[in-house]
Amino acid sequence: MVAGLAGCTDWQDGSDPSPPDPLEPLLAATSTLVSRYEQAIAEVPALADRLTPLLATHQEHVRVIRAMIGRPEPSATPDGMQWVEPSETAERSEEDVLAELRAAEEAGQQAATDACLAAPPDRAPLLGSIAAARASHQVVLR
Amino acid sequence: MINPTPTGTATSAPTGLAAALAAEQAAIFAYGLLGAWLPEEEAEAARQAEAAHRDRRDVLLTTLADRGEPPVTGGIYQAPFPVTGPDQARELAILVEERVAAVWRATLADVTGEDRRMAVAALVDAAVRATGWRQAAGMDPATVPFPGAT
Repeated sequence: MVAGLAGCTDWQDGSDPSPPDPLEPLLAATSTLVSRYEQAIAEVPALADRLTPLLATHQEHVRVIRAMIGRPEPSATPDGMQWVEPSETAERSEEDVLAELRAAEEAGQQAATDACLAAPPDRAPLLGSIAAARASHQVVLR
Repeated sequence: MINPTPTGTATSAPTGLAAALAAEQAAIFAYGLLGAWLPEEEAEAARQAEAAHRDRRDVLLTTLADRGEPPVTGGIYQAPFPVTGPDQARELAILVEERVAAVWRATLADVTGEDRRMAVAALVDAAVRATGWRQAAGMDPATVPFPGAT
């Protein structure tokens, strides 16, 4: 797994001599999920009650994945965070926002499942739980 | 919890797939008990859930038998509280799915390969059903941050 990520060794500024953890991509993608929810809530405040608990869950997932990697100190801008710019000036409808988040959760569920399947025994339960949380989010986003 | 009372002389609590089998059997029992108390739409969801648990139980029975592992002794199941209406029925359904999720989550550490694939799928399914029952019960939020974590 680590060998397969050899091409990603420049994920930081190169000052860290340790090889990247196999969970780095999942951490980055989870941070992106956090950004997507923050943006969705900012864009459609009417969805805030529904989305805030899901945002909190993704923030919690970022924290525990960081802890698993052994890099618990959050930086101001997490690695891999990508702000999703609003599409032009056109405001998206609630339905569009929910559909986008459902798709993101589905992809996130798959990523967490893959990470779980590839993980050593001590990491598998938490990663499976993260996959399950993302699946359950899709129920709430319907 | 729906805990089986062992009728055999098991020397230790089952682990891995055997523990998952016991949890699935308890879930089948619980849905048989609670389904009758639900309005039709939810009763249909309960029937589908029961069928899903039966499917998983059957796969586990076959898998364990193929490996020559001793069969899990059937237990006497008892609901943790009396079910006398739809509210308790939903509460029991939530409890059962959370219990199933917890057992499969723990199983993840014990298994690899296809067994782990089955375990994560079962954890996902239980978390999704638990969310549906929490919604039916009017709980907000209907999700938990770490399904199966106790």
